[in-house]
Amino acid sequence: MVPFAGFEMPVQYANGALKEYQAVRDGEAGIFDISHMGQVRVSGPGALAFLQHVTTNDVSKLVDGQVQYSALLNESGTFIDDITTYRLSESEYYLCINAANRHKDVTHLRAEAADFDVKVEDESDDTTLIALQGAKAQAILQETTSADLESIAYYRFDRIDFCGGTAIVSRTGYTGEDGFELYLPNTAAVTVWQSLLDKGAIPIGLAARDMLRTEMGYALYGHEISDQVTPIEAGLMWITKLDKGEFIGREAVLVRKESGALQRLIGLRLTGRGIPREHYPVVCDGSVVGEITSGMHSPLAGCGVGLAYVEAEVADSENLAVDIRGRHIVAERVKPPFVRSNVRR
Amino acid sequence: MSIPAELKYTKEHEWLRIEADEAVFGVSDHAQEALGDIVFVEPPEVGRSFDAEESIAVVESVKAVSDVYAPVAGEITGINEALEASPELVNSDPYGEGWIAKFRIAEGADLSDLMDADAYSSYLEE
Repeated sequence: MVPFAGFEMPVQYANGALKEYQAVRDGEAGIFDISHMGQVRVSGPGALAFLQHVTTNDVSKLVDGQVQYSALLNESGTFIDDITTYRLSESEYYLCINAANRHKDVTHLRAEAADFDVKVEDESDDTTLIALQGAKAQAILQETTSADLESIAYYRFDRIDFCGGTAIVSRTGYTGEDGFELYLPNTAAVTVWQSLLDKGAIPIGLAARDMLRTEMGYALYGHEISDQVTPIEAGLMWITKLDKGEFIGREAVLVRKESGALQRLIGLRLTGRGIPREHYPVVCDGSVVGEITSGMHSPLAGCGVGLAYVEAEVADSENLAVDIRGRHIVAERVKPPFVRSNVRR
Repeated sequence: MSIPAELKYTKEHEWLRIEADEAVFGVSDHAQEALGDIVFVEPPEVGRSFDAEESIAVVESVKAVSDVYAPVAGEITGINEALEASPELVNSDPYGEGWIAKFRIAEGADLSDLMDADAYSSYLEE
C-alpha cells in the first residue's frame, strides 16, 4: 500500500502487477478502486455557460448521457487539471477530476462560479469510483443489473440502481479495453465491489493500472500534463476548441500556437534492450533534447515504450535515443497507442 | 521463504555459491519477492573487474529499478544469457535458473562480511 492524495492505495494485490495486467489485456476483467478521484456536480441555469468558460472542450456539443474528455486551464494556458465532463441535463453536469488536484480544482471552480448562476458541489467524499475493464466487463456487470448495458455506447453513460443507490455507469476507462466506470454512493460500494469479485472480476492495483494506461499513451497529470505545458505541447488540441468562444487560457494558447511549441510530447519505442523510465534523458545525435515522462516494458509490444517531451525541432528526428544508465538505446518515434486499443468505438 | 544452507548471503540480499576461487551469484528469494515481477535484467560485461559493493548488474521489476552489488571483489567470467529472454526466472527460481552471473574471486578478497544461511535468516528477522 502507498499513500496517495490522502488515500491508502494498493500498488498490487496478491498475484502481482504482471498477472493483473495480463488479466485485463487477455480477455478477463479487472476491477480498480479509484475512489480517490474527485467528483464535482455543477448545476443551475448558468451551468453550460460556466463550463464553456472553465473547460477547454465544447460542452455545447454534449447531449444528455454523454461524456467528454476535457481540461481546466489557467490564464497562462497551462493545465490546472484534465477532467471528464458528464452531461446529466441541460442544467446539470458532473465532472471527474484528479485526486491530487481536487482542492485546487474546487477552489478554482468556486472562484470562477461567482460570475455565473451556478452551484458547484464537491461530492468526492460521498462517491466511490470503481472501474471495471476488460473483455468480460460487460458480461460481469450485466449479472448485477437488469439495465441494458449493451445500449451504452463509448463515452456515454446511464444511471443505474445498485443496492438502493443510483450510480452513474459510463463506458469509459483508462486501459484501452472495453469497460465501465461506476460512480456509486459510498453506502453501495462494498456490496458492489464484492459482487463483482464474486462474478470473477480480478482486483487491479496502481502498478498494473499505470502499465495499462502507459501502453495506450494516455496522459497522466503530473507526468505528461502539468502547469508547465499547454495543450499544444501535450498534443491535446483535440480537446481544446479555440473556435467555441471565450474560455480561460484561450488567449495564451492562441499566442503559443502563433509562436510555436517549444517542446512536444511524443511516443518512443526502443529498438534495443532496456526500459525507459520517468526522467531518463532523451538524446538526439548525442545531445540531451528532452526526457521520458512515463515508460515501461510493454509485455505485448515486447520492448520498452515511453512517452517523452522533446524539443520541438527534433520531434521528427530519426536519431533519437534514450539514455539508460549511460547507454544510448535507439528509439523510434511511434504514434501511441503502443499496442492495439480495444475500446468500443 | 527459501534460504539454502549451502549458500552465502549479503546484507543487500545477494547470494553466492562459492566453488574454489569462483562464485555464482544472484538475488535472494526475499529480494525477488520484494521486487515483484522482474521484467528486465542488465547483466555485467564478461571480463569486467570490480570491487566489493560496486553496482555490477541491474534488475528491473514492474515497479522499480534496483542495483545488484558485487558481494566481493572479482572479475566476471560468465553471465546467465537465459535472463535476456526470460527475466522472470529470477522470480521463479532465484537460486537456480535465475542466477545472474559468475565471477573469479579476486586474490585476497575479503569474504568475512558474507553471512551463512543462519545469519542471513536472523538478519531478515531483524
